[in-house]
Amino acid sequence: MEQLLNVITLGLLLGGIYALVSVGLNLIFGVIRIINFAQGEFLMLGMYGAYLGYSVLALDPYVTVLIVVPALILLGVVVYWLVMRPLQNEPMMQVFASFGLLLLLQNIVLAITGGLSFSINTPLSQVALSLGPVQFSVSRLIVLVAAALAAAALGVFLARSTVGKAIRAVAQDRRAAQLMGINVQTTYMWTFGIGTGLAGLAGVLLSPIYTLSPHIGGNFVMAAFAVVVLGGLGSVAGAFVGGFIVGLTEAFAGYYIDPELKHAVIFIVFIAVLLVRPSGLFGKVGAEEVGLREQS
Amino acid sequence: MRSAAGPVPDTRSAVDGVWTVRKELPIWLAVVCGLGLLVFLLSGQFFYLNLLTVALLFGGLAVSWNIIGGYGGQFSIAHSVFFAIGAYTAGNLFKHFDISPWISLIPAMVLSAGIAALVSWPVFRLKGPFFAIATMALTEVAIAFAMHFDLITGGASGLTIPYRAGLENMIFQARWAYAVLFLGYLAAALAVSVIVYRSRLGFYLQAVRDNENAAEASGINVLATKLKGMAISAALTGAGGVFYMMYVRIVEPAGLLSLFDVGVKIALIALIGGIGTIYGPLLGALLLIPLDYWLRAFVGSAVPGGNLMVLALILILGALFMKRGIFGALKQALDAVWRRQ
Repeated sequence: MEQLLNVITLGLLLGGIYALVSVGLNLIFGVIRIINFAQGEFLMLGMYGAYLGYSVLALDPYVTVLIVVPALILLGVVVYWLVMRPLQNEPMMQVFASFGLLLLLQNIVLAITGGLSFSINTPLSQVALSLGPVQFSVSRLIVLVAAALAAAALGVFLARSTVGKAIRAVAQDRRAAQLMGINVQTTYMWTFGIGTGLAGLAGVLLSPIYTLSPHIGGNFVMAAFAVVVLGGLGSVAGAFVGGFIVGLTEAFAGYYIDPELKHAVIFIVFIAVLLVRPSGLFGKVGAEEVGLREQS
Repeated sequence: MRSAAGPVPDTRSAVDGVWTVRKELPIWLAVVCGLGLLVFLLSGQFFYLNLLTVALLFGGLAVSWNIIGGYGGQFSIAHSVFFAIGAYTAGNLFKHFDISPWISLIPAMVLSAGIAALVSWPVFRLKGPFFAIATMALTEVAIAFAMHFDLITGGASGLTIPYRAGLENMIFQARWAYAVLFLGYLAAALAVSVIVYRSRLGFYLQAVRDNENAAEASGINVLATKLKGMAISAALTGAGGVFYMMYVRIVEPAGLLSLFDVGVKIALIALIGGIGTIYGPLLGALLLIPLDYWLRAFVGSAVPGGNLMVLALILILGALFMKRGIFGALKQALDAVWRRQ
């Protein structure tokens, strides 16, 4: 029983991490359908940004959010304008370009850090809470709360605000949105920027939990894609719930089968969703193809 | 020279403007003979011969990739998985059962094609980029499995096979023999590629790539077409894995399944040479493999990861500005000259 509770807690906390990481990808891949393999690398940059603020400016990593998130939004805007915009009608070339971006960012960080790994200590990450037999650190709880807040904020933003409506309109039909007077290119640009900013937020919040390495993004990006597909492309609630499903699945598989096989479990979830219900748990049926038809 | 995309009733008939396999054969023969001459000329120079050997191998792999990635427009970065399946099949059969790798080619190709079809089937039913994502995930899974099932793969330390020279074991003392072996592999892959390209399947694949809805409306079974292309492509890649296993005689999961060193590199080679052209991927390999060696030696040693940074830039710039690769750019230039005349 105690083990079971521990595994469930582990899964929920891991789910919080996946939910947080998926928020940004859900915007980029789920809503505007840009396949961005470099999303994990934006998260990695967020982590290193937090480390920079922590070591150079002696800031608490949680405070560096104020610097890192705007910086990553800016980076996202630049990346969109230089790389993704010219390729908006060619999803396959986007795959190539974003993979190139992944490789480039990884190796730039590798070259700068010389392969050393860093870790961040905050007063908060030392504190552990215990709930009955289960123990966990406060920093993981913060991630869980932040994931919920970010998902809720994004959901409201997309559903209610004018910009959010514009984003959804552009995602559904670019030409019609343009005819309605929406500036398509700026909308795409800011959506991509917000998506990378959210990756930066995730990176900052995860930085006290993980040891930083240039390749750490790979640990999250696959899970995030699985989560977004599982939840239903573009569905904010879906990605939130999906994060916990994937987290719990991974925790159970890791404990009862073999920790080495966690990637396999995520992959099986991904394939199973595509087989049984490609529109995902919360997506509208057929929504997985919206916006993917040829647009000119 | 490519005819308009879309199903052509009978590709082998002598319709004007439609190239047939028979017309393509002299070019194929000339390319293979030219490379054979190159092998002969370099047979004394150890370093360049090795470089050429690896380039021929990757040329064959990129040509195989091109069948689904280029003709079919379905970009896979998981071809390293089929490569590894080929290598592990041949390695294990040779090590434990003393089965000649020539015979292992058959199970290796069947297994690669089977797994490729099995994994692709759920994603090929859907339009959109799910295939590319699935292939990226497949690589991760394959690494996890390769580390886990160490009885087959030898785990992290790798799988070694004994040195027993002989043609029947596909193990040679002379290094030039491997160059000839890989030239044979490349020639076979090119031949399959030519046949597919000039066949009904090839036209179907191109039609699906150019407009899936229109292809479906014209009566093409889109799913079956993609699956056939994928299976052929994976089988050829698996065969490449068999030859590679006998060439290096030791493989470990990290090297064999490395996303960049194999999976993406194959796709990058095809991209640089010219995706969807017959000889583009070969050209890409002949250029990129030496470049990769050079970058590793000079840039990678000066700056950690520097060589990959340069290749990443090539990847991004290639995707942005040379979507049809060197071959496509040349063809465009030739067409422009032709039109002016």
